[in-house]
Amino acid sequence: MIELSHLTKHYGKVRAVHDLNLKVGRGEIFGFIGPNGAGKTTTIKMMGGLIRPTAGRVSVGGADLAREPEKAKKIIGFIPDRPFLYDKLTGMEFLRFTADLYGSPGKDFPEKAAEWLTVFSIYDWGNELIESYSHGMKQRLIMCAALIHDPEVLVVDEPMVGLDPRAIRLVKDLLRGLADKGVTLFLSTHTLEVAQNLCHRIGIIHRGALIAMGTTGDLKTMAGVKEEDLEAVFLRLTETQQEAA
Amino acid sequence: MNEVLFLLAPRYLSVRKSLLSRERGDLVKFALFGVLGLAFWLGIFFLFFKILNYFNVAAVEDQAVGDPNFAKILAVKLLSMVFTTFFALLLFSGVVTTLSKLYLARDLFLVGSLPVSHAKVFLARFLESLVDSSWMIFIYATPVFLSYGMVFHKGLFFYANVFLAMVPFCVSAAALSALVVMLAVLVLPASRFRGILVFLGVSAFVLIYLALRLARPERLVDPDSAASMMRYLASLSTPESLFLPSTWAFDSVREALFGNLSGVLFADALALSGAASLVFLCYWISGAAYFRGVSKAQEGRVSSPGPVALARWRTRRLPFIRGPVRALAAKEIRTFFRDTTQWPQLFLMAALIGIYLYNFKVLPLERSPIGTAYLKNILAFLNMGLATFVLAALSARFVFPAVSLEKEAFWIVRAAPVSMRTFLLIKYAIYFPPLLVLTEILVVATNILLTVTPFLMWVSVITVGLMVPGIVALGLGLGAAYPDFTSENPLQAVTGFGGLLFMILSAIFIATVVMVEAGPVYYISHAGFHHSAPGPLTLLWLGGAGVLVLFCCALAVVLPLRFGLKRLSEGPARNGENAPGSTSRKKD
Repeated sequence: MIELSHLTKHYGKVRAVHDLNLKVGRGEIFGFIGPNGAGKTTTIKMMGGLIRPTAGRVSVGGADLAREPEKAKKIIGFIPDRPFLYDKLTGMEFLRFTADLYGSPGKDFPEKAAEWLTVFSIYDWGNELIESYSHGMKQRLIMCAALIHDPEVLVVDEPMVGLDPRAIRLVKDLLRGLADKGVTLFLSTHTLEVAQNLCHRIGIIHRGALIAMGTTGDLKTMAGVKEEDLEAVFLRLTETQQEAA
Repeated sequence: MNEVLFLLAPRYLSVRKSLLSRERGDLVKFALFGVLGLAFWLGIFFLFFKILNYFNVAAVEDQAVGDPNFAKILAVKLLSMVFTTFFALLLFSGVVTTLSKLYLARDLFLVGSLPVSHAKVFLARFLESLVDSSWMIFIYATPVFLSYGMVFHKGLFFYANVFLAMVPFCVSAAALSALVVMLAVLVLPASRFRGILVFLGVSAFVLIYLALRLARPERLVDPDSAASMMRYLASLSTPESLFLPSTWAFDSVREALFGNLSGVLFADALALSGAASLVFLCYWISGAAYFRGVSKAQEGRVSSPGPVALARWRTRRLPFIRGPVRALAAKEIRTFFRDTTQWPQLFLMAALIGIYLYNFKVLPLERSPIGTAYLKNILAFLNMGLATFVLAALSARFVFPAVSLEKEAFWIVRAAPVSMRTFLLIKYAIYFPPLLVLTEILVVATNILLTVTPFLMWVSVITVGLMVPGIVALGLGLGAAYPDFTSENPLQAVTGFGGLLFMILSAIFIATVVMVEAGPVYYISHAGFHHSAPGPLTLLWLGGAGVLVLFCCALAVVLPLRFGLKRLSEGPARNGENAPGSTSRKKD
């Protein structure tokens, strides 16, 4: 469903992402982890069509993001890490705006929007201006907007940032449910616990390159650690790379 | 004091970095701004030099005045007006700058969390505001004083004293502005105060302009009334209270002009001690009032439901469009009507159009040595250029920042299944119709006031109809090519290089079209006045000019939009939205 081939991004002389290759299948939850500055957000932004790769290609649902950007984006729901929105719209108007942009308002839009707002516990704020929302409420609204057009692929940068524990639980359950329905999820996260509990496979990116990929078990074998949690794996693999550099 | 310097360090380092770093195109920008700034500076110098010399000559020639010191009286009166004007400008600029630096800046949360007293934070911000609100007046005041020094043959002491008087003058104005702001935000939240301030500023500008315009200053051009005008000027009184910093600075410069050293010393001492007292008063009050104001400023960031309801009502009238067009059009209209900072601009626009039409109504055409009908038609022809220049100014304000107004939420458009081309075309479709209607109304109304021939009416209507798409495209295209998504006020994008380029290119475009049409239109109008038919060559010339105008207008639409599209599609690294080292990339 998602295919990254030789994906590379340079910012001038800075190499942010280098020769990234990976495939994510339908209904799979893929976690993308790495230290600060590793290239996670850059990769996510290339996948969302927000920035152009220097080389390589992104294919979503068989559509090349460079050649058929509209076709590819139509099936993507994109959730950035920072909730910049149009402050002078109300939550409901923003959902309508998104649905119109994706060409999928439909006659059942009011019910669908109300349903998502209710799921994310911001229904009562639906007719208030976004400028009055808290950071977490904006993040929830972005999630509603990303789901309003029934995407086949969900690209999420730091899904739990700014959310309270109840919302974190809600999002985890929701993402699992979406994957069960065949939605492909690509998440970048710092929270190793989220990656471990939620993702079918995990990729570790370090200094722009994919240094390891597989299930938590595969990664443990690669790192040669016996501990249960992903943290030890992550530290061992990234430290090894650090030493090699 | 160290803490104040530490607080100022980020600003100093940013300025230094931006001065030292050289990117492609910086030299062109620097040269362009430098030439314009220098031209304005020289313009002020020559204007004052000419006026002061004129006073000398006119005072000698006008025997009725009978006072050998009359030129000096006029020069001093002018100087007093200059200081009063500078003082008003410094106060207004100071209030606006202080308000945003002290209460609305984004980094206030960070600064507020530092282990530094509120009074010291205030002092650091005050110093920043002082420099920001005064530097331009300081620079553009120099040609005024230079012309005084040259006309009155003054030496180095005069110029040194001007500097000595101007520094406390600017400091006092900034301190008074800070006092006003500090006290005002205790009553009103800062964001609302800003709205009121902008509205009052625009209203004051419109009222002053209307008052000046309704006084019909063109009558003063009449040489018969020049002497009476000068006597009138001499009899005008400006506010010269002993408690005003403008009076202290004025007294100092005046005494230096007449070589009265003790007067200079007294005025300078008054100015310096006055400025020091005002800064101390501000610092003292800030200890008690600043933090309360900052806290209150956070309460007024949410709009009232009134504008929300208004905007909702308006967008219900868009059932005929669907999909992305509806999405972007509805968003644009709602955002526009809910953003209270836009309203004074609309008011200003309406006032300027009213003044524009009034100007045509009161033109003293009957006094012209050229035939009235003939002159009216020449004016109507030139009016095409003027009206489209008004359009260019409106486009600079409304169309140029249209892309930048997406601010940091632009990622939504980038991530959506809408091409940048569609996005730009939708923006174009939103701004083009109202501006076309407005410009045509302007041209038709002025032509009716001038009672022009039907031929010229048609030429004006068609030409303007062809030029509006070009100017709107220039504004949108260059606004897309030089956007500023990260600025706190995207409307300021037009004050940058792209905005300057837009105004220059618009002027060139307008001048080209007017010049291309001038020849054939003149000959056809001429033939009309002599009740004869235009020759075939003239008609051919008109046809050729029409084709050329059409070609120019088509280029003005296509080229800027393509340029803007290309730059916007090249990605965010161009505009700071996601440049290397920007916060959005650093995060991962």
